[in-house]
Amino acid sequence: MYYTRITQIERLTDEVATLYFSISLRSYPGQFVMVYVPGCEEIPLSLSSSNSVTVKAVGETTASLINAKEGQYVGVRGAFGSAFTPSKRALIVAGGIGIAPMKYLYEYLMKCGSKVSVVYGERTAKNLFWLDKFDRITVTTEDGSFGLKGTVLDALKLEKLDEYEKIYVCGSEGMLRATYDFLKERDALDKAEFSLERYMRCGIGVCGSCVIENGLRVCADGPVFNASELPW
Amino acid sequence: MNPLETEIGGLRMKNPLMLASGIMGSKVHSLNLIARDAGAVVTKSVGVEEREGYRNPTVVNWKCGLINAVGLASPAAKDFAEELKDYTNEAPLLISLYGHSVEEFSDLVDTFDSALPYLHGYELNLSCPHVKGAGLDIGMDLELSAAIVEELKGKTKNPVFAKLSAMHDYLKLAKVLEDAGVDGITISNTLRGMKIDIMSGKPVLSNLSGGVSGPAIKPIALKCVYDLYKEIEVPIVGCGGITSFEDVLEFIMAGARAVQIGSAVYYSRRIFYSLKESLIAFTRARDCTISDLIGIAHS
Repeated sequence: MYYTRITQIERLTDEVATLYFSISLRSYPGQFVMVYVPGCEEIPLSLSSSNSVTVKAVGETTASLINAKEGQYVGVRGAFGSAFTPSKRALIVAGGIGIAPMKYLYEYLMKCGSKVSVVYGERTAKNLFWLDKFDRITVTTEDGSFGLKGTVLDALKLEKLDEYEKIYVCGSEGMLRATYDFLKERDALDKAEFSLERYMRCGIGVCGSCVIENGLRVCADGPVFNASELPW
Repeated sequence: MNPLETEIGGLRMKNPLMLASGIMGSKVHSLNLIARDAGAVVTKSVGVEEREGYRNPTVVNWKCGLINAVGLASPAAKDFAEELKDYTNEAPLLISLYGHSVEEFSDLVDTFDSALPYLHGYELNLSCPHVKGAGLDIGMDLELSAAIVEELKGKTKNPVFAKLSAMHDYLKLAKVLEDAGVDGITISNTLRGMKIDIMSGKPVLSNLSGGVSGPAIKPIALKCVYDLYKEIEVPIVGCGGITSFEDVLEFIMAGARAVQIGSAVYYSRRIFYSLKESLIAFTRARDCTISDLIGIAHS
């Protein structure tokens, strides 16, 4: 573990903030860090750039992170895990806070000269952020308060999946499984990569807390898996 | 003929490489994966009741290994028995047990013996250094440890092994357990250690101290095996900092009939496969078998 200062805190919504670190981590999109808040717990967080994490407050530790003060120190271990595989023609599918690692991926792909489309789903308009960061984006809200009414699946039905070399997916478990079924139905699993989440302890592949049904570890073998590998 | 074949306490194994308890051992799916190449697998230590373990951080890696205070996080015995019903049985399965009393260990054995017909044995955790009243504290009490072994040997047909720590008076404890009927001794569990975070001025682990494992403790564990080989007749399983096939051979030559692999999983997911292949190459080059090498450092 090493310490880094939080140089900037950018509040994005009432419960989401991006924390910028004073150091840049040697990392690739899709990888995560274990972040230790002194006095709280150590938790896994996806990187939203090489020097930032974007956090949603869901508990004590995440709440203290989004309310951290600039200049405060946090402990960091990582970057850990597998990364997304680059492609020239990409579709990014994100639900909720799952958009966080996708911004890193998007920026990386743009640097590679890739053509990228984004589908971003939220429950309601007030949870949305980063809409201006993506050139070609389709937004869905479940309550219809912004963009397409419905879920990311409703947006995916409008896409020509054949046009894409890779489809990258990150979001809640329910959204991932629904998207998996959708892509399977359309024979698109082979080109899909899913980013999974699990409760983690060691973060480095030895304790087995985050093992999924095929025996792979989310922290070390994942969090990014080729969709055809998933035992769903 | 399989040059890596070995046997401990009546348990035949295709090779001497066992998965150590506490490493990838809480989900049947990872046990199934590792069992393809391992000679045997030992599950995460389980107690009668569910245990959540300690708050993160629970694992720290440092220069020569790991310090962990996972805190015996495990499901309840009944739930774990249910989980293990999907075990594919490609290698012998041993369940690691922890408890605070003879009655608890006895209840655990009842639970698993009745639920799992293909179970191959038990490993008593008498040495986990980071849970009060269990593990290391049990192993410090020779009479209680012997009583537990006697009770279990009286009620299960499965072999009962005991895992000791280098922090015990391990020669005396092993002797007492051998007299009580234990089928084999595993040594060593982790040693007590800690790391302090200079930024916050506090211990890094939320549990303050944790178990030290990895290459740093290998010389200590190796000496324990060497010492025990001269003192007891029951099989010895070596455990501590094994990351290469040379390490495996050193433990075998010191007197171990098998070794347990733990923190090396951090370095390579394919550790069992690569160690197995290297050992095969060594036995071919030297025209010997693993059994030929057991204890030769003593002659």
